[in-house]
Amino acid sequence: MASLGTFLLLAAFVTCSYAAVISVAGARRRSRRLIESGIGAFYLICAIMTAASAVLINAFLTGDFTIKYVVHYSDSVQPLLYKLTSYWGGLDGSIMFWVFLLSVFGSLAVYVNRERHRELIPYVVATISAVNMFFLFLMVAHKNPFTTYLTAAPTEGEGLNPLLQNFYMAIHPPSLYTGFVGMTIPFAFGIAALITGHLDDSWLRAVRRWTMFSWLFLSFGLTLGMIWAYEELGWGGYWAWDPVENAGLLPWFTATAFLHSVMVQERRSMLRVWNVTLVIVTFFLTIFGTFMTRSGVVQSVHAFGDDPILARLFTGFMVTILVFSFSLVIWRLPLLKARNELDSWMSREAAFLVNNWVLLFAALFVLFGTMFPTLSEAVTGNRLTVAGPFFNKWMTPVGLVLLLLTGVGPLLAWRRSSLGNLAPQFLWPGVAGFTAGGVAVGYFRIPVWPSGLCFALCGFVVGTIVQEFYKGAVIRRKNSGTDLFTALVGLVGRNKRRYGGYIVHVGIVLICFGFAGNARKLDEQVLLKLGQETKIGKYTIKSNGVKVADDGQKQMTTAYIAVFVDGKEIDGLYPAKWAYRRHEQEPTTEVAIRRTPAEDLYAVLGGFDLSDQSVTLQLVVNPLVNWIWVGFGIMALGTGIALLPERSFAFALAKMPAEAAATTVALLVLILLSGPALSAQTNMGGDMNTRTSFYARTPFEKQMQHEIVCTCGSCGHQTIAECRKDPCGTSHEMRGQLAAMVDQGMNHDQIIQAFIAKYGTEEMLGAPLDQGFSRLAWLLPYLVGATSAVAIGFAAVKWTRKADEASVGAPAAIDSALEERIDDELRDLD
Amino acid sequence: MTHRYIKLGLTAAVLVLAFAGLLWSTLQDGTEYFKHVDEVMANPQPWENKPLQLHGYVVPGSILKRQDTLEYKFKVQNNPIRDPNPGHVVEASYTGIVPDTFKGEAEVVLRGRLTNSGFHTDPNGVVAKCPSKYQEKATAGS
Repeated sequence: MASLGTFLLLAAFVTCSYAAVISVAGARRRSRRLIESGIGAFYLICAIMTAASAVLINAFLTGDFTIKYVVHYSDSVQPLLYKLTSYWGGLDGSIMFWVFLLSVFGSLAVYVNRERHRELIPYVVATISAVNMFFLFLMVAHKNPFTTYLTAAPTEGEGLNPLLQNFYMAIHPPSLYTGFVGMTIPFAFGIAALITGHLDDSWLRAVRRWTMFSWLFLSFGLTLGMIWAYEELGWGGYWAWDPVENAGLLPWFTATAFLHSVMVQERRSMLRVWNVTLVIVTFFLTIFGTFMTRSGVVQSVHAFGDDPILARLFTGFMVTILVFSFSLVIWRLPLLKARNELDSWMSREAAFLVNNWVLLFAALFVLFGTMFPTLSEAVTGNRLTVAGPFFNKWMTPVGLVLLLLTGVGPLLAWRRSSLGNLAPQFLWPGVAGFTAGGVAVGYFRIPVWPSGLCFALCGFVVGTIVQEFYKGAVIRRKNSGTDLFTALVGLVGRNKRRYGGYIVHVGIVLICFGFAGNARKLDEQVLLKLGQETKIGKYTIKSNGVKVADDGQKQMTTAYIAVFVDGKEIDGLYPAKWAYRRHEQEPTTEVAIRRTPAEDLYAVLGGFDLSDQSVTLQLVVNPLVNWIWVGFGIMALGTGIALLPERSFAFALAKMPAEAAATTVALLVLILLSGPALSAQTNMGGDMNTRTSFYARTPFEKQMQHEIVCTCGSCGHQTIAECRKDPCGTSHEMRGQLAAMVDQGMNHDQIIQAFIAKYGTEEMLGAPLDQGFSRLAWLLPYLVGATSAVAIGFAAVKWTRKADEASVGAPAAIDSALEERIDDELRDLD
Repeated sequence: MTHRYIKLGLTAAVLVLAFAGLLWSTLQDGTEYFKHVDEVMANPQPWENKPLQLHGYVVPGSILKRQDTLEYKFKVQNNPIRDPNPGHVVEASYTGIVPDTFKGEAEVVLRGRLTNSGFHTDPNGVVAKCPSKYQEKATAGS
C-alpha cells in the first residue's frame, strides 16, 4: 500500500506540472483544446489526491505499521475518530492534507467559474497547480508520509500525543487548513487577472465569496484553537501570543482588510492596487505561517521540530511568490489606476481605508513580534524575546481603534458626510456608548483603560448596528407596506452581504466584550490539604481529597472540590490528571470549569499527594469568557447570511415575496439552533440494560436511578443506573441509599432533597434542576421552538394580508433624503 | 503637487518616528534575553538582575520541594543529561505549580532573574519540553 501511496504522489506531481504547462500554452495559443486538457488534468489531480488520502487513511485504520508516519502518530487501541485525525497529526501528513484540500477547492473554483471567467481559468489552473507542485515536491523529495521502514517494522505504533486526543483538536486543524488553503483561490484569480490584464472588478466578484468562506473557516479554526487551549492545556487562558497562534492570526488580519477594501473598489473603483496586494500578502502569509511553524525558524513550545532543509525550500518558494507577484503588479500598474480620488476624510471609504491601515499594521506588528527573537539574534547576536504583555500592550489600542471604526464606518456616507447629517447619525449610538461605559465604570468599578473604554465602544457599535437595522427596516416598511418584522427580514434578504456583515460585527462586539472581561481575571495557586479551604473572588473552595481510578486506557487522578458562595455549597468541581497508557510521563490536564454567563470558575489539578490527600490547585476566575464563544457563533451566522448564494435567492424571490425567502432562512437558523439544545437533553437518558448491583425493583426506583448521577468522578457523570465502572463502590453505595429511601416510602422530591443534602451539589442530578440558571438550560429549546412557531404564524398572516394592503393605499411619504441614500446603497451593493 | 508630497512625507516621518519611539520604549521593558546556561554562567556578573529566559536541562534528582508549600529548588545544567560534559550548573528556585513535564532530565526554559543566590524564576515562569519523543505540540503557556 505504501508504494501505491508514493506512486500516487508522484503521479499527482507529474499531472500538476502537465496541467500548469498545458494551461499556459493553451492560453497563449488561444487553443480551446489545450485549455480543456489542462482543466481535465486539474480535476485529475483532485482524484489522485483523494485516492492517496484514502490509502493513508486506510493505513491508519488497518494499523499498517510498516509506514513510519502511521507508527509515529497512531496505535492500535486509539479510538476511530483519532485514527482518522492522525492523518494531519504530523508534518508529512499535514502537507499532504494541504495538497488534498487545495486540489478539491481548486477544482470546485474552476468548475464554478469556468464559463463566467473563461479568460482567467487557464492561469488560475496554472497558479494553483504550481502551488500544489511545490507541496508535492516537498513530500516526494523530503517528507513523504508513505516512507516505510527498510528493515524490521515495529508491531505497534507510538500513538497520537494525548494532548491532541481532544474533540476540538480533531476539528481545529482541518478548519484552520480550510481557511489557509482557501486563500490560495483568491490569489490564483488575482494572478490570473494580472497576467491577462482583465483587471476590472469581475475577478473580485469571483473571489469575494471564496475569501469570505476561507475567512470564516480561519476564524473558526482560531476559535477552536482558543477553546482547545482553554479546556485542554489548563493554564487558565486562551491566547498566549505563541508563534503558532500568531501564524494563524496574520492572514486573518489581511483577509479581514481585503473583505472591507473590496467594497471600496466595487463602489468607488479605488484601492485597486491595494486589493491585489492584499490578496497576494494574505496568500504569502498563509505560506509564511506554515513555514514559521514547520521549519524551526521560530522557537515555540508547540512548533514542529527543526528542519533546515524544509526552511530552505520554503524560503525559496516564498521569495519566488513575492518576486513573481509583485513584478506582475508593477508591470500592470498602469491598468490598476484608481478611477476616483478620496473626496473627504469624513466618508465611508476613508473609514475603510483607516480600517485597512490599522489591520495591516496589526498584521505587521504581530509579524514583527513573532519574528523578533530571530531578528534580534541575527542583528545583535543576542536572542531577545518578547512575551504576551508586550503584545497585549500594543494590540489593545489597535483592537479598540478597530472597534471604534466598526461603529463609525456605517454612520458615514460614501464620498462625504456633512457635519449637519452626522449629528443625528451619531446621537443614539453615542448615547448607547456613554451609557454602556458609564455603567461599566460607574457601577461595576471597572478601570477606564482599557476595559471601561472597550465596554463603551461595544455599546457604541451595538447602537450603530441597531440604528442601521431600524432605519433600513422603517424605510422598507414604508415602501413595501408590510410590518416592521417582515421588513427587517426582507431588508436582510435583499442585501445579505451588508446586513450579514453587521451581524458579523455584533459577533465581534461580543468577542471584544469577552476579551474585556480579562480586566477582572483572578489567578491563584494554592496547596490544599484534606478539608482545607481557600477563597478566590466570591467563591470559597474546599478540598475533599483525591481519588485514583483506571479505565483500562488511562489512569485518572481526580480531585474533589466543593465550591461555596456565601457559606452555601453551590457546586462540585472535579479537576483531574489522566495518564494514558504508554504516555505515563505526559499526563493530560483535565480542567474543571464551572461556566456561567458572568464568569467561569476554572480549576486545574497542578499536583497531588495521595499519602496525605493534599492537592495543588490553580484556580482562575475568568469573567465573561463564554461571550467569546457565543460571539463566534453569531459571527458565523452573519457570514453564513452574507454567503447565501444570490441566484437561489433570485429564484426564490421570483416565486414568492422576498420576505418568504428571508424568513425561511431565519427560521431555519432558529431550528438549527434548537438542535444542539435538544440533544443536550436527550443525551441524559440512558440505556436500560445496564448491569448494576441493587437492581431496580420498581419502575419508580428505576426512574430514580436514572435521575441520579454517580459521584465517583471517573465515569464521566453517568447515572447510577449505568455507571459501569465495575466495581464502582460509589454508585453501588448510592444505589443502596436510594433503595433504602424507596423502602422508607420517600417520594421523588424527598429523595432528591436527601441526595442534595448528602452530596450537597446539583452535580449528581442527571437532569438540570428546574431553578435559576438551570432553568435556562431546560427552557432554551422550548423558547426557540415557541419563537419559531410564533414567527411562522406571524409571517404567514402577514403574507396573506399583504396583497390586500398593497391595493389599499400608497406607502406613506417619508424622509426622502434618507430613503434615497439607503436605496442608492441597496442598489449598488445588490 | 510637490507641496502635497512634502506634506505627505512630513506626516509619514512624524508617524514613523512616533511609532519607533513608542516601540523602543515598550521594547525596553517588554523584552527578555534568551540564553543558555553556559552563556550566562561563564560570566554571570553582567547578567544579574536582567530579565532572562534561561535554557537548560534539569539535573536528575536535584528537584527539592518544601513540605506543604509550592516552593521548589532545583539545579539546571547546560547540556543534555546524556552528554558526558554537563557544562555549567545553576541553582534555581520557583514558587508555584510546575508543568507535568518538569522533572529530571527535562529540557526547560526558565523566565526570571539571576541573583548571586541563584536563579529566581518568575511566577508561571517554568516552561518544560517533553523528553522529545514528540515533535509536535507540547504544553503551551506554563
